[in-house]
Amino acid sequence: MNEITVLYSNTIAGDADAVVENIQSALDANINPEKILNEGMIAAMQEVGRLFEEGEYFVPEMLIAGRAMQAGLNLLRPHLLDSEVGKVGKVVIGTVQGDLHDIGKNLVGLMLEGAGFDVIDLGTDVTPDQFVEAAKENDAKLVGLSALLTTTMPNMEKTVDAFRAAGMADTVNIMVGGAPVTQEYTDKIGADGFGQDASRAVSVAKDLLSRFED
Amino acid sequence: MNSRERANLALNHREPDRIPLDLGAGFQTGMHVSMVYALRQALKLDPPGTPVKVIEDYQMLGEIKADLLDAIEADFVGVHPASSMFGYKVEGWKPWTTFDGTPVLVPEYFNTDVEDNGELLAYPEGDKSIPASGRMPAGGYYFDAINRQKPIVEGELKVEDNLEEFGFLSDEDVSRFGREVDRVYKETNRAIYANFGGTAIGDIALVPAPWLKNPKGIRDIEEWYISTLTRKDLVYKIFEKQTEISLQNLAKVYEAVGDKVQVVFLTGTDFGAQNRAFMSPKTYRDLFKPFHKMMNDWIHENTTWKTFMHSDGAILSLIPDMIDAGIDILNPVQWTAKDMDQKILKERFGDQLIFWGGSADSQGTFPFGTPEQVRKEVLRSIETLAPGGGYVFNSVHNIQPETPIENILAFYETFRENRAY
Repeated sequence: MNEITVLYSNTIAGDADAVVENIQSALDANINPEKILNEGMIAAMQEVGRLFEEGEYFVPEMLIAGRAMQAGLNLLRPHLLDSEVGKVGKVVIGTVQGDLHDIGKNLVGLMLEGAGFDVIDLGTDVTPDQFVEAAKENDAKLVGLSALLTTTMPNMEKTVDAFRAAGMADTVNIMVGGAPVTQEYTDKIGADGFGQDASRAVSVAKDLLSRFED
Repeated sequence: MNSRERANLALNHREPDRIPLDLGAGFQTGMHVSMVYALRQALKLDPPGTPVKVIEDYQMLGEIKADLLDAIEADFVGVHPASSMFGYKVEGWKPWTTFDGTPVLVPEYFNTDVEDNGELLAYPEGDKSIPASGRMPAGGYYFDAINRQKPIVEGELKVEDNLEEFGFLSDEDVSRFGREVDRVYKETNRAIYANFGGTAIGDIALVPAPWLKNPKGIRDIEEWYISTLTRKDLVYKIFEKQTEISLQNLAKVYEAVGDKVQVVFLTGTDFGAQNRAFMSPKTYRDLFKPFHKMMNDWIHENTTWKTFMHSDGAILSLIPDMIDAGIDILNPVQWTAKDMDQKILKERFGDQLIFWGGSADSQGTFPFGTPEQVRKEVLRSIETLAPGGGYVFNSVHNIQPETPIENILAFYETFRENRAY
């Protein structure tokens, strides 16, 4: 189990080179890839989220850990069964139309990926129709919208409306986040969840997906 | 009491006749050009259709001319570098129209292209023969930097690559600052807020350097944040050299402008996000504080200037170190961010810090609230931040586009009715 413990620590520390080495030696030692993923990486990213919420980790620390996790996943992915990749659920994310800011959205993406989601990142300046199309194409039940600007925040409402118009209001849950976004605004536009920051976005995402399980 | 006297008292933690007011002296205390146009129209300063100059072409801030300062009785005038965020001189005006239809004037070298998707591209020095450095989405209001990060080869990163934009001021630059400050000082009795450029270390808005034709070094925003931990020595050396250059520039500028300047812009680096600081107190202490302190110390030992720091967000955990580094003025006092309660800030730091801003919220109340809500926020900021002086009235950050004009009028009206000490 030593490999897993070391991998866990190196992911939290964000040492990408060490993470890749640790995964290789864990694979060489015939440790189950699913175990490497869950106990080495997903558990580590959960701890990164906790450290962020506790105020011990900040944006740079989180970005570094996230990049290390991605480097590790790239190596691990071919060894995982299809069913194990992103098995928590699919989520389509993007910054809404007219907005080019993506640090917040990228952090949310990293944390979701680190929690075992299959993340489909549409980038910035994404139109309502592009969100709807991507959710359909990927059969995603969860969509995350980001906005930094007060002038683009109204495009969140337009995107929520587009899902409604496409008849997908009951099959897709929408979470929103970004500097000017509040719980009050989330409720007002009829979105399903508010991710106050990158760490809490993960628990909101899990909660929203669990609503489909019953 | 004139504006300059009023400002001096407030900046020295004493109560003047009334609270001093700023609109647009700095590039974080102004208004989007569309709102300046709307305000000028509402105050009947111009016939309909009269264009407003864009004096900051990245955030698209509008010029606050003397007649507007007179109309709202503002107390500060800004003096800024000659060059824009896209690297050309802010002069030689030509007509242009924003996406929302506002008639404006833009600098001669403000050259843009419209992409097939309606996006607007802008070029360093207005030179369309090289790749664009900024873009504004279709229907948008501001530019953002295009990521022009070249592949990073770890061993080959050089301090000089991130210093290209922080050179020594030319004699012409220095004498221009001297002339401008002299002109404002003689022509008005307003206090002068000066931005001589180059002093803001690690400002994420400046890291991509949209004014450079071929920026080298670390230019990607995420890469920069990561570098504050993974390439700490390199970033430290960049700041060290930048500070060394800045101190020489400040000394030269001081010879030209003297103590006619009241406030000097030191840094606009954002240390806070909505719910927490962007970086740990340790990162601030290790990387930023030594250089903030060096610049503040020089200014305080050699001039009567007060130093102005702009940082958005939840920065409570960093404020004691910022004070320790000698920062005089904190802007914009974003009380909507976590733990940034105005009352607590005034109680804890009011003796040491001048608060500049902290009234109506440009992120929520201004664009989405009612005049009554704006009034409440104005009254609350006056009540909590003004006692004892050390307060300059201003919105929380630039007033953003799509703000109802009624809210802006209510803002100035409520301030006027309640500004007296």
